[in-house]
Amino acid sequence: MATEVRLPRLGQGMESGTIVRWLKSEGEAVAKGEPLYELDTDKVTQEVEAEASGVLLKIAVPEGEVEVGRTIGFIGKEGESVAAVEAPAPKPKEAQPAPKEEKRVSEPTTNGRIKASPLARRLARERGIDLASLRGTGPEGRIVAEDVQRSEEAPRAVAAPAATSTPLSNVRKTIARRLTEAWTVPAFTLTVSADMSRANELVERRRELEPDVRITITDLLTRICAQALVRHPAMNVQYTVDALLAFPNANVGIAVAAPQGLVVPVVHNAEQLTLGQIAQVRSDLVSRARDGKLRTEDLEGGTFTISNLGMFAVDQFVAVLNPPQASILAVGATSEQVVPRDGELHVLPLMTMTLTCDHRAVDGATGAEFLNTIKTFLEDPGLAL
Amino acid sequence: MPELSYREAVRDALSTAMRQDDDVFIMGEDIAEMGGSMGVTHGMLEEFGAERVRNTPISEMALAGAAIGAAMQGMRPIAEIMYEDFMTLAAEQVVNQAAKLRYMSGGQLTVPVVFRTQGGAGWSPGAQHAQQLEAWFVHIPGLKVVFASTPEDVRGLLWSSIYDDNPVVFFEHRTLYGIKGEVPEKIEPIPIGKARVHREGEDVTVVATGRLVHESLQAAEEAEKEGISVEIVDPRTLQPLDEETIVASVKKTNRAVVAHEAVTRMGFGAEVASVIQYQAFDWLDAPVERVGAKFSPLPFAPVMEQFVVPHADDVLAAIKRTVGK
Repeated sequence: MATEVRLPRLGQGMESGTIVRWLKSEGEAVAKGEPLYELDTDKVTQEVEAEASGVLLKIAVPEGEVEVGRTIGFIGKEGESVAAVEAPAPKPKEAQPAPKEEKRVSEPTTNGRIKASPLARRLARERGIDLASLRGTGPEGRIVAEDVQRSEEAPRAVAAPAATSTPLSNVRKTIARRLTEAWTVPAFTLTVSADMSRANELVERRRELEPDVRITITDLLTRICAQALVRHPAMNVQYTVDALLAFPNANVGIAVAAPQGLVVPVVHNAEQLTLGQIAQVRSDLVSRARDGKLRTEDLEGGTFTISNLGMFAVDQFVAVLNPPQASILAVGATSEQVVPRDGELHVLPLMTMTLTCDHRAVDGATGAEFLNTIKTFLEDPGLAL
Repeated sequence: MPELSYREAVRDALSTAMRQDDDVFIMGEDIAEMGGSMGVTHGMLEEFGAERVRNTPISEMALAGAAIGAAMQGMRPIAEIMYEDFMTLAAEQVVNQAAKLRYMSGGQLTVPVVFRTQGGAGWSPGAQHAQQLEAWFVHIPGLKVVFASTPEDVRGLLWSSIYDDNPVVFFEHRTLYGIKGEVPEKIEPIPIGKARVHREGEDVTVVATGRLVHESLQAAEEAEKEGISVEIVDPRTLQPLDEETIVASVKKTNRAVVAHEAVTRMGFGAEVASVIQYQAFDWLDAPVERVGAKFSPLPFAPVMEQFVVPHADDVLAAIKRTVGK
């Protein structure tokens, strides 16, 4: 069987070569080691020796550029037939790339080497600045010390006026620590929308009847959540490393944006309080939170948290857990929505809530049932009485 | 403070030493009645007599050898080599004898001789009478090499050279003889090996010798107008070299120019540039620039001579290159 003559790889990185001419003609005897053809690579023009002895049966590529590994001819016994080899069309010479515009000033690198003065290198090294990120303004685009200094000043000049440094308050530190902790908890979120028609009516009506106790949606939510927690004791829990803690009372925390930062005072035993009592407790807690007069006990013992951003016209959001509590309810604004119901379109005041749960303590279905109860109570507040 | 010309300052050092010290004497070609080809020793024959102001035959090798012999015998001779081009003729004595004898005798001999010589272009003396060959002698261990650029420096340094127990090759510049400058009332020896900062600056250090000190000072004035602050350092003694002062200056300015009238290639500035790049590498913000004569024998034709040797403009151009302007 005939031996294929393939274009050899003569050096690292060689992808192709150009056959200049064959030194043997078809039908001519050739001995192994004899020069067979002349090959032009990007480095040299050289004679390539035959790797087999016999007769040069066929020259598949008489001349031109050929990829490495391609069959360019056959050596075999006289009279032997060879498979037809499609001669590749000689690759057209690549169009000469347009000469690059000389941009010496902006390109301080040559062959990947960055042109920088020793001083610039030292300064960059000392200040942890990547020379590659700099533009050289010295002779021939060299990066000089001034370029390094300028690069260091530039971001400062932009950032410095915007930022003032304030030492962290303890509240800020606590927020950071607890929420970072919360971020490590495997949590899931459930979202539901409730028709707030009746809840709004109730709140309105209570305000009319008891103008000195200003009932809010948050108060109603507190009452409803407390009742829902009583009905779903599996939600009124906390995960610890070796035990699940279940609480007899619904201590509902209310996230308050106090001047010093987020605080979550707790309405203790909320399941035992009337709406009016809740409003009083909540009103006291919030005003003391804003005055920075909360006591430690006001902040402790929460088993659940409500975070209501509805007053800020937030449609909906996801709250981060308030550890070690197992769930938190994020409440958005009530807005009128077109809702199809019984084949007709209704415009209803809808409020969207998202419940975030610690999955280590609570399963999805448990959370869903709980959230559905809240929705039901909101849509029919009498059920929560 | 009195004002002296560079020429008078040299003569003052020679005469003062000869007045106070019988061991000091001068010898050279035409230094007596003629007062030297540059007039430096004018009037000294009358004051000190032919024994101490000795005319020699026209043989630099002979007069250098005679001076070395006298020095080995305890005298402090000062031999004048009329042109430093002719130091080539005295080279065997200077390089192979004067520089070696103290070492080869294990310190039994000292050779307290001074070879005063001068050179420099700017007055069309032609290729054989204006070279600046100081670098040749800096290359020879055993020699000290001085090249002063002001009346004060030339007097104080010649004094120290006369009283140094080692052979000193003392270069003067032909075109500086006429310049005047204030000098201390009494001669104050200037230590060999101590550079002089002529002018302080922040952006570039120019290390210049001889005539180029003055050209560089002029260039610095020009640079100042363009907001470039230039420090000028004159090493004054080329061997030993005050590396400390030079390096400290470059570490401050981060840029350096070396300037001399001698041919740039293998010139003294090459050594200075090397010292700087090695000791202040991480402080350099630009390549060390070199200013010197083009690689050519000095032309006789005045315009061509001016073309070959460097001037203030060349120093200024080099200063600007270092700051990238």
